[in-house]
Amino acid sequence: MKSEEEIMSEALVRIFENVVLTEEKSLQAGYFSDLSIAEMHTLTAIGPYESRTMTKTAEDLGITTGTLTVAIDRLVKKGYVIRQRDTNDKRVVRISLTRNGKLACRMNSKFHRVLAKHILSGYNEEDRKHLLALVNEVDVYVAQQLRRYDGAVNVRKTAMEVAKDSKKENE
Amino acid sequence: MIMGNAKNPDSRREQIYNEVIRILSSDLEVPADEIERDMDLNTELPFDSLQLYEFVIDLEEAYSIKLPDEMLDQMKTIDDIVNLIMRLTEGK
Repeated sequence: MKSEEEIMSEALVRIFENVVLTEEKSLQAGYFSDLSIAEMHTLTAIGPYESRTMTKTAEDLGITTGTLTVAIDRLVKKGYVIRQRDTNDKRVVRISLTRNGKLACRMNSKFHRVLAKHILSGYNEEDRKHLLALVNEVDVYVAQQLRRYDGAVNVRKTAMEVAKDSKKENE
Repeated sequence: MIMGNAKNPDSRREQIYNEVIRILSSDLEVPADEIERDMDLNTELPFDSLQLYEFVIDLEEAYSIKLPDEMLDQMKTIDDIVNLIMRLTEGK
């Protein structure tokens, strides 16, 4: 029989992979088949409203501005993103979505909302509240683990610290 | 940006209604006179999700407003949308 830890860890990995795969397949079958998942996530990080700076967007995506520049070049060519110099500070580059970019971004948000709606619809109000509270706890915990690696030059050292902490929790 | 700023609320509502119908008719490629104000957005108009968002983005750009999904979920008829635009553009 599988342990609770095995069931939980396998389910977490499977959920993550299946959400990404479903998202990818729905993209390929839909109106925005020329976009990859990573590109769609870049559009979502820019958002459908105010323009954003390259620096802040790269920070939110957890990538360097150099990597974002390459991605934005492609998205500009495909007609999803507009790149402009800031009117007040010419050193700052601002990015925003074209009409097509906004459409892609909103269709993708809808995909996630519909998925969430279907999952929640199987529960009564009390269970929904309970489920959301548990999911939120998992979310906060995983985000905390991720933050430990922020700015960590020595990833192996941080990983060892995380492993030590897990060992302590199990004792 | 369309201001929808007629002083009289009735004429302002009418101005917004006419513009909403114009945008809707163009996005759905349906003659304006076939669209009625109490039509159900989900069941009586031939929207697919993409057309719905085309319509929403056109409204956002026309009135410089934000219409997030949480707000759209409450909209059932064209009249609801007109009322929402009235509220969001109040004093603009």
